[in-house]
Amino acid sequence: MEEALEGNLELKEIQRLEGHSDRVWSLAWNPVAGAAGVPAMLASSSGDKTVRVWQQSGRDWDCVAVLDEPHTRTVRSSAWSPCGKLLATVSFDATAAIWKHAGGDFDCVSTLEGHENEVKSVSWNASGSLLATCSRDKSVWIWEVLPGNEFECVSVLQGHTQDVKMVQWHPFLDILFSCSYDNTVKVWAEDIDSDDWHCVQTLGESNNGHSSTVWALSFNSAGDEMVTCSDDLTLKIWKSEIQKQQVGDGYAPWKHLCTLSGYHDRTIFSVHWSRDGIIASGAADDAIRLFVENKDGQVDGPSSPSYKLLLKKEKAHDMDVNSVQWSSKETRLLASASDDGAIKIWKLESIS
Amino acid sequence: MSEKFSATLRISDLNDFIAPSQACIVSLKGLKNPEKAAPAAKPPAIGEPVKISLKDCLACSGCITSAETVMLEKQSHEEFLSNIESGKTVIVSLSPQSRASLAAHFGLSPSQVFRKLTSFFKSLGVKAVFDTSCSRDLALVEACNEFIARYKQHNSATGEGCKTSLPMLTSACPGWICYAEKTLGSHILPYISSVKSPQQTIGATIKHHISKKLGFAPEEIYHVSVMPCYDKKLEAARDDFVFSVDHHGEADSEAGELRVAEVDSVLTSGEVLELMKLKSVDFKALEEAPLDKTLTNVDAEGHLYGVSGSSGGYAETVFRYAARTLFGTQVEGPLNFKVIRNSDLREVVLEVEGKKVLKFALCYGFRNLQNIVRKIKTRNCDYHFIEVMACPSGCLNGGGQIKPKEGQSAKDLIQLLETVYMEEVSVADPFANPLVKQLYDEWLEHPGSKKAKKHIHTEYHPMVKSVTSELHNW
Repeated sequence: MEEALEGNLELKEIQRLEGHSDRVWSLAWNPVAGAAGVPAMLASSSGDKTVRVWQQSGRDWDCVAVLDEPHTRTVRSSAWSPCGKLLATVSFDATAAIWKHAGGDFDCVSTLEGHENEVKSVSWNASGSLLATCSRDKSVWIWEVLPGNEFECVSVLQGHTQDVKMVQWHPFLDILFSCSYDNTVKVWAEDIDSDDWHCVQTLGESNNGHSSTVWALSFNSAGDEMVTCSDDLTLKIWKSEIQKQQVGDGYAPWKHLCTLSGYHDRTIFSVHWSRDGIIASGAADDAIRLFVENKDGQVDGPSSPSYKLLLKKEKAHDMDVNSVQWSSKETRLLASASDDGAIKIWKLESIS
Repeated sequence: MSEKFSATLRISDLNDFIAPSQACIVSLKGLKNPEKAAPAAKPPAIGEPVKISLKDCLACSGCITSAETVMLEKQSHEEFLSNIESGKTVIVSLSPQSRASLAAHFGLSPSQVFRKLTSFFKSLGVKAVFDTSCSRDLALVEACNEFIARYKQHNSATGEGCKTSLPMLTSACPGWICYAEKTLGSHILPYISSVKSPQQTIGATIKHHISKKLGFAPEEIYHVSVMPCYDKKLEAARDDFVFSVDHHGEADSEAGELRVAEVDSVLTSGEVLELMKLKSVDFKALEEAPLDKTLTNVDAEGHLYGVSGSSGGYAETVFRYAARTLFGTQVEGPLNFKVIRNSDLREVVLEVEGKKVLKFALCYGFRNLQNIVRKIKTRNCDYHFIEVMACPSGCLNGGGQIKPKEGQSAKDLIQLLETVYMEEVSVADPFANPLVKQLYDEWLEHPGSKKAKKHIHTEYHPMVKSVTSELHNW
């Protein structure tokens, strides 16, 4: 696979999905669709107050659902539950909605109120038992999923000092990550003693962190590395000895590994790490960039990894690229969303 | 300053004026990109960057600004001392939670703390030191009476009010009230008990009744409460707790009518400790002064008494009273509160002939409060009564309490406070409190009377979201 990345590569636009009447903020691939005969499925959230669900049909993509209720303002993002049957959407109307996907239909089965204002991001944990949301009200909420589409608030976390842009659960541990306009990434874990959640680590400028808004984060497939992207025009890679934590050896702190600077000259809004190790970034310069670990001539050994730009797709969109998301099933398939209102599906291919 | 308030209050956007809130409409432009830098063709421009004035803040429902924060700074010990010097009659009302905080800090009993504090305050020139356990008993009697009325209304199944009469939610926690008014509004406010908190009950009692007995006009008294909680300062500043007096009928048209607060100032437990440091007082070495019996739960032998719940004992007191009054059941011994999700969500049930007839809950901390609110909104709440407190672990864990000592965990301190709270304090039924009886005999007539409604009850106001706070385009 790694070899295949050698030579000339191109990001080929294979589909352009039109339908939203305002900017598209974020994308979410259904994690169980796109394999074993189940057609791939993608949800897009937009400033037009709707979520559209797109499904692959042969070479084409159809919009199979437009979720235009109950949100009364911009839908900022959405997330599929690990089983792919529930879709959580969050909106600037301060609510989250939970949709059940059954027999091709989407039914809104629950709404979650509580945030004071705009909800920015939502994430399910690996088992689908917990849901996290974050908001401009500076708080991060954790909800427990109960039978009968009931949700109970298990924690309200108030560590950030500004707007929280994104929440993301670790791919297999129940540890929550949040990033914010306060320039930090915070790591949250449950304290069994007090039966509540606490901030166990803050990655800020003083520990080689970002010097401006952190917009997004993503994990590698092993879950031991994390990439963050920022308004400070850099990507940063972080590492944790997560195996230690898995065997119950206490919290394994995240350490700064390297910074990818000099590649971006506008805000980086989105970053996503593919299962086969390619980091995609979407930025305010309308471009998509791909990075891979540079394994050539590692004279310093594995302790000081570096990353190289694999390719830069100029003018990927007409306006800011708000979201880049690799397909969870099909390798080398990337989706992007933009302020220009379009969603694009890309295939990373060798130039023949 | 803002971090001192309860988390519940903070979630409803207590923000500093110097660093305007993300929710502050006026600051939206001209700051670092709020959601993202706005390219020219994007949503309608809001216009020129606007300067925020204090007036804008006060007129806005968006956040509690440092305008209020500044106002709160005035409720400090400097203000307290200057009022003593100005010759006002200063009365202090001490909460049992603050008493426990100081007792744990100094390794003394609540009774010793109360007596030593009395000598300390009197050495500064304070006229009397009272006990909010006493006014709390009065508030509890009113709450019992209100519950029975709500229960009957609920079961009469007629009239509009019956749908929102139960569950009855307690009103003693100002963080909760502020949150309910700002964020929950008319969905929740009708369920909240109209009874004033112990702080405001003692304030009303002192300014409306005791002042007369002492021969002072209400405005001649400067009344300070000592509380475990910063949010109590906001409560004291509420318009509902300020009243007008005619200036002795004197035709002083310049002065007109006077506005008098039930509680002029609130000091937290921690601020009292600071005050003692400021005065270089060796607290443990202070004499134990006799207590002022007018509004203090102390018996003839000098023993303190009160209800046992460290957050006011509302659920317990009303539960026992309702069991007795509605079902003729005398509940003996301590109540068996069962932990539901965590130690801050507990419930107690009364069964009569195998049927669950009463279901009460203690609900502390913001996360539990959220779930209760959610249940009420979706009409899935089967509790009859809920004692709501914004802070996890309740009032002993208030933001104004003295911080843990070095090496002491917050959890250890709470456990210590829970033990100290009732040390050498005997458990007593509020209905048997002779001081409460006397207040009804001399002043309020009977529970739920017109006079009681006027002085010991209050109302709540949904905060209408201003147009501007809804103006975000991002």
